[in-house]
Amino acid sequence: MNTSPRKLNLDEWDDRYEQLRRDGLREAGYGGPLRRHVVREKDFRLQQLQFDNSPAALRLWNFLLTENERLHQARANGHKIVGTMKDLGTVPVMAYALPGVRAFYPDGAWWTPCLMECSDKLLQQAEAMGIDASFCPVRAMLPAFENGEHFPQPDLLVCSTGAVCDDFSAIAQRLEHLGHPIFWWEIPRRRQPAPGEMACALPGNLAAPKIQVDCVRTELQRIGKALGHLAGKTLEDDCLAAGIRAANQARRLLDSLRRTVYFAPAAPLPALEMLVAEMLAIHFCSDREETIVVLDGLLAEVQLRVRRNQFIVSAEAVRIFWVNPVADLRAMNLLEELGGRICGSDYMFTHALDLIPENLPPLEALARTALADPMVGPTSDRAMRIVRECQAGHAEAVVVSRIPGASHCAREGEIIREIVRQTIGIPAIELEIPPVCDALLPSLGSRLQALVETARDRRTK
Amino acid sequence: MQMDVFLTSPWIPAEWIRAHGLQPRGIWSAETFQHGPWPLSAGVCAFAEAAVRFAEARTNSAVIFSTACDQLRRGFDTAILRGQSRAFLFNLPATWQTAAATQMFRSELERLGQFLLAIGGRAPSPEVLRQDLLQSSRTRKRLLESASASSPRGFAEAVARFHWDGAFSPLQPAAPTNHIPLALVGGPFLAPHWKLLDEIEAAGGRVALNATETVECSLSPTFEFEAGANHPFDVLVHGYWDNIIGVFQRPNTRLYSWLKPRLASRHVRGIVLWHFTGCDLWRAEAQTFRETFGLPVLLLEASGEPGAAPREINRLQAFVETLR
Repeated sequence: MNTSPRKLNLDEWDDRYEQLRRDGLREAGYGGPLRRHVVREKDFRLQQLQFDNSPAALRLWNFLLTENERLHQARANGHKIVGTMKDLGTVPVMAYALPGVRAFYPDGAWWTPCLMECSDKLLQQAEAMGIDASFCPVRAMLPAFENGEHFPQPDLLVCSTGAVCDDFSAIAQRLEHLGHPIFWWEIPRRRQPAPGEMACALPGNLAAPKIQVDCVRTELQRIGKALGHLAGKTLEDDCLAAGIRAANQARRLLDSLRRTVYFAPAAPLPALEMLVAEMLAIHFCSDREETIVVLDGLLAEVQLRVRRNQFIVSAEAVRIFWVNPVADLRAMNLLEELGGRICGSDYMFTHALDLIPENLPPLEALARTALADPMVGPTSDRAMRIVRECQAGHAEAVVVSRIPGASHCAREGEIIREIVRQTIGIPAIELEIPPVCDALLPSLGSRLQALVETARDRRTK
Repeated sequence: MQMDVFLTSPWIPAEWIRAHGLQPRGIWSAETFQHGPWPLSAGVCAFAEAAVRFAEARTNSAVIFSTACDQLRRGFDTAILRGQSRAFLFNLPATWQTAAATQMFRSELERLGQFLLAIGGRAPSPEVLRQDLLQSSRTRKRLLESASASSPRGFAEAVARFHWDGAFSPLQPAAPTNHIPLALVGGPFLAPHWKLLDEIEAAGGRVALNATETVECSLSPTFEFEAGANHPFDVLVHGYWDNIIGVFQRPNTRLYSWLKPRLASRHVRGIVLWHFTGCDLWRAEAQTFRETFGLPVLLLEASGEPGAAPREINRLQAFVETLR
């Protein structure tokens, strides 16, 4: 049955789900109605969200919201679980190259207070553990480790350090003090090669001195040994090369999805689903093969919609480039309610979207990819990529979304906005979005509205 | 006249700057580093912001930022954007247990050397470096030996002087008191904050251990030549690298190993955790200090005024009172 794309609230999805079932919907093992996540997992925030009405989006949401359940199941099936923190995209490629190993980001617990509308009390518990509200919501992972009510205890915990956020580094150190041993690895702050210095090209049109690439490669080698020890199998180059090819398969799909959605005359998929889809890149939501299936489904859906000229946000909407992930998913709905649409994004892991070079020795390729992390280099590098992508996506405005308490947010917004204004002259604002933003909706709304109006006004001049 | 090279961290070797014929200065010792209220915007570390503004104003000097914290690292980005061309970002590894980290520290020193040459420094002579290391080692040792017996303020001033021009200032022994021994642990301790040490005494406490980043623990690098066989640059590298005690290190167990015997030997009964607004690295340690050392911890926020703000003094007084 042909149904036009539109957004549904949770009640409407109940009916839609029944209809899809009657029409013969075939689901993955983790499938089911969205409502059950509210009932069973207390993901109350779903009741405040608007979702895309496609079966592909349903699969995406079910995939996302069953991650902890699937991880527990994997543990029960004898899989080894690796908790990988902060690097957002590199170590999981290595972990998934080994049979029987799954990697996930405990950092992902930062969305739990949002999804559960703080009913989980994780943030309060983090405060009782010495990490108060002046730190990023990622502090939710501390009590999540302690109470074991969310993700399973990892068999190995790996965390990048060096050029990372202070708040995250401090929280991870607190975690280790609480008795969770951490395998720390160094990611140096990326710099431009000096004149005459041996340099390496990195994904994302970046470069780094060879000495930094060598350092990261050596660090990844250590991680590879630890992973191999955990898996009981050496992580050989051919194995890792196959892992890179599989990761690239997901990245290619995501690239096609982003191009199709962001460059279309109007948005064929909502911003919220795109944010979730992009997040799959960093650790495949704990199932690499299924990530590929989910992304494939989404891509097929948006391609069909574009062919049919069916969109979910009108062509009149102001094209916004969004920087940083939002602590409250509701913010992505809000943007569209106020007349905006996403035409490009940098959710802090653009290095997990770029293809990993397949023509280099695998660890070298991963080292280069890790160093291309937008968060480990100069903010100006990140800003220049944003500028390029704004131009490619014909952005009319930029939103830099601040994460409460995150050390990188203290300065990067000012630098990004300044470079965006100087180079392409489009308006840019900063917004701070807490894990549950209901109380701030009026002020967030008026700021976004002002941005949308300013951008619209510029069309007529 | 030698150009001033301001260092934002005591773990960037001043001896290496001097060997290039330039004058290293601990930025925290500069009288003009910060006057008046901190120029804060949301989430910005006051110390990092002051460093950025200082770099902006001192275009005839060089400023060496470090990556020890995200705030300074990104502060460097801001300084560059605002046109400071004599700024350098020293990549200080957070890990310390691997050969890769040691190698990175060494290569950063070499890179810093290139920068110093580019701003007018001279190529370092091994003998000049060797002599400077020996002198620095002696001064550090003398200062450390007098740490527990000197007046807290006199010691803080003497260490600041050392970080300003490398000189040793003789210290007067402190008069015996029955004040409650405290440890002051935390971020950089600036000249305007010396008054805090008097305020602590007035409240009935005494800083028996000043373990702020720029005071006692900053003296830990030591340089030992084995029968003249070592190359001074290797001695410099290991003298620092093997002795850094930083909250930013991962794991930061060295900090705890350094603190533990000193807290015990100086009979410390409470810890004042000194931190700048927006400093996550220090603030996050408060609970671990309590758990590890079994001592009460008072968080005290640095302000732009001399000493501590009135509200903070009130808290300090109450803290000391509870320890009586």
